[in-house]
Amino acid sequence: MPTKIDVSSLRTPSAHGKGRSWREIALLAATALVVIFTLIPLTYLAIRAFEKPLPEILQLLFRDKTLEVVGRTTFLVIIVVAFNTIVGTLLATGIFFVKLPFARYLIIPAILPLAIPSYVFTYTWLAIVPSLSGFFAASFILILTTMPYAVLATLIGLRRVDTGLIEVAQTLGLGRVQIFFRVIFPQIRLNISAGALLIGLYVMSDFGAVSLLNTETLTVSIQNMYKASYDRSAAAVIAMILILASVIFILLEERFKGSSKSAAIAKSYSVKALLIEKISYRTTILALLTSYVALAVLAPFYVLISRFLGNPEPIEFSNLFSAALSTITVSGLGALIALLLSIPISIMNSKSEGAAARGAERIILISHALPGVVIGLALVSLGSKISALYQTTLLLAFAYSLLFLAKSVASTTASLKQVPTVLKDVAASLGKSSFKVATQVTLPLALPGIGLGALLVFLTAMKELPATLMLRPTGMETLATQIWSFASINRFNEAAPYALLLVLIAAVPTFLLSLPERLESQDRDADQNRNREQDSMRELGDSR
Amino acid sequence: MKISRKVGKLAAVVLAVGVGASLMAGCSSSSEQASEVTELTIYSGRSEEFIAPFFEQWQAQSGIKLNIRYGDSAELAAQILEEGKNSPADLFLSQDAGSLGAVAAADLFTTLPDDVATSIPATYIAAKRQWVGVTGRARVFAYNPTLKTLPQSVTDLTSPTYKGILGIAPSNSSFQAFVTALINAEGEAAAEKWLKGLKANGVKIYAKNSGIVEAIDKGEIQIGLVNHYYIWEVSEGLGREINVKNGFFRAGDIGNLINVSGAGILASSKKYSAAEDLINFLTSQKVQEDFVSKTHEYSLLAGATSPAGLPTLLDIGAPTIDLEALKNISITQDLLVKVGLL
Repeated sequence: MPTKIDVSSLRTPSAHGKGRSWREIALLAATALVVIFTLIPLTYLAIRAFEKPLPEILQLLFRDKTLEVVGRTTFLVIIVVAFNTIVGTLLATGIFFVKLPFARYLIIPAILPLAIPSYVFTYTWLAIVPSLSGFFAASFILILTTMPYAVLATLIGLRRVDTGLIEVAQTLGLGRVQIFFRVIFPQIRLNISAGALLIGLYVMSDFGAVSLLNTETLTVSIQNMYKASYDRSAAAVIAMILILASVIFILLEERFKGSSKSAAIAKSYSVKALLIEKISYRTTILALLTSYVALAVLAPFYVLISRFLGNPEPIEFSNLFSAALSTITVSGLGALIALLLSIPISIMNSKSEGAAARGAERIILISHALPGVVIGLALVSLGSKISALYQTTLLLAFAYSLLFLAKSVASTTASLKQVPTVLKDVAASLGKSSFKVATQVTLPLALPGIGLGALLVFLTAMKELPATLMLRPTGMETLATQIWSFASINRFNEAAPYALLLVLIAAVPTFLLSLPERLESQDRDADQNRNREQDSMRELGDSR
Repeated sequence: MKISRKVGKLAAVVLAVGVGASLMAGCSSSSEQASEVTELTIYSGRSEEFIAPFFEQWQAQSGIKLNIRYGDSAELAAQILEEGKNSPADLFLSQDAGSLGAVAAADLFTTLPDDVATSIPATYIAAKRQWVGVTGRARVFAYNPTLKTLPQSVTDLTSPTYKGILGIAPSNSSFQAFVTALINAEGEAAAEKWLKGLKANGVKIYAKNSGIVEAIDKGEIQIGLVNHYYIWEVSEGLGREINVKNGFFRAGDIGNLINVSGAGILASSKKYSAAEDLINFLTSQKVQEDFVSKTHEYSLLAGATSPAGLPTLLDIGAPTIDLEALKNISITQDLLVKVGLL
């Protein structure tokens, strides 16, 4: 039974003391610093691009080939985003609402492909179908690669869907499809949209899959400019187009997601009574899930394991171990920096929908669409002037945090937003200091979401290649650079242990990402959030 | 209470500033003393697997520690261009002449003295001595030994004899270097006609040279345009013998292009003599022989033996090509796009 506690009567005008303006200035300053960091690559690109005389820039922008590449990139983004948004939402909703065998474990294989870099996906699929090439092959691989973003984002939204409303809709005689579109969809629209955004930006910045499959997107063009003519200015001009494309995409996404509703305090989350047992639903979802897992998990693993077993060379365990250690260290540090950098912006974002906060968020999202090689070269350009910092673990970790900050900001902002304002107001009205409100109310409730952002950054940083090649300390090899190193000379058997280890290590955070789902979906009542909120309420009362 | 509040207020700022501060740290310039060289920094576009044993040998005999940064030749060149005079690299070892040419064009290499790499013929050294070739890499056609009629020239490949049985890798830089040489030698129109002819002849497209060799081994195609060492690379990668041979066109044909891997010393380096010593080591008789037997590349020394079963550089009858002119392959890429091969 859904219980609604009317707390609106408790809401008092927030008592803000003198400290407020001081706090806001500090927050603004911290946010400004983060924005300055994220502007480094954009500034670099602007400087490089305008080294070219204007007529040449215009000629480059409007030549047929550029238009063609822009068109191809756009279509690729549309196809992958549209397909994965629809199928990913369907898959996630199915896993959540349809009664399935081993339901709590089904989510793991659906998210596991997050652990597989797109170039490993492509190499393994090329081993199965050597003639794989072109636009549709690239769409196929990118769909496999990015599906988990859609599934994960939708699932996070579904966990917060008020099932009481669904029960009401059922009693009113609405069918399942109607219930989905009229009750569930509006509540998870924000999450679906966030997933689509991450997928779109990923497709724009991907290099591994598209280059191996001969599909020239803007990112491939940029890379080709360096490789074919060593023309950094031309590359920067094309990168400007990529920035413009990402801005358009980000604005479209903002329109789609609409305005967010602030979280209400008490909702009913129990799904048990609503589980669909109809056989046609069950077979459809199982068939969909099975085919995805076959294509995105079993196929790559089959190739990697058979290559691993077919490797005639002895594995150098010391190299494998040290590569794994550097991968974990530098990606972990990158995730930590991203988490720290995301805090001020997320706080601002969760407090207000102000222009400053939105602007900062957009700039961070733009950086997310930039290929690693651009961030890499920007930091080479700046970093090489600071010899104590250049080619250190810290600078590489910083590059990761810039590349993937959007993931951390998105998830930290969302989790801060989902802390009910009333709780904070109640706490404040009970005489709690803002520090105590932050540490005793906001932080415990937002922590899972903040952690999720950090895990996503860690996971993506582990797979990153172009910036890693440029910025890693000379002599340091990561799992990704070793895979590249062997694959570039066709020693796929020898690359296999490194790829397998990368996937296995990445599977740990992936597993953790799926953990809340396992705890809170079908098999148990998903009362934890509600309990936590009630606990905090009780604690606040006790300590008064 | 008051203190904890202040700490709370400060926390976000301090955390963010901390990263910034660490970025600023170390702005002090560090200039190295050239007196005693103990370390040398190498940017290597040659892969670790093949080149590391040679570096280790030199390290042992010179007592100088090598810090080696492995990467893609073109990306390392872009990185050096970006670093400019701040580059930590002393020596750049590249997989191809194009990347060396890009660094040379930006005046970032020093001019090598005449007593460096004396054994290497002038054909394989940049005109202004900014870089020297270290090993040779021949363009060949790889083929299934059962193939009856072998081509005499690349132009033969557009004939019906090779319809649907030829493979190329248009996105590969060595193929693009070859097409660039073709454009330079016979003009863009002729190159376009040839590429269109290949396309009309049902040429099969592969992502990589190795894919072509594997496809010949599997019988998917009979012949393909690759570099000579791929038959070893594929066979070693698969851990078995493969049913593919290397063939050369008639002497002087553009299809027999010889590209080089090579090395240059960064002008910003303060360790010229140690770096020169490393180049002399790599171009010495003994090491050149090892390149032939271990990495199956061509030694550039006059009268050197060739990789097992292949004719010598002299016998191949390589076309006369200015390797430095292979630097800009953007015209080639545009052409490949135009004819629909990229």
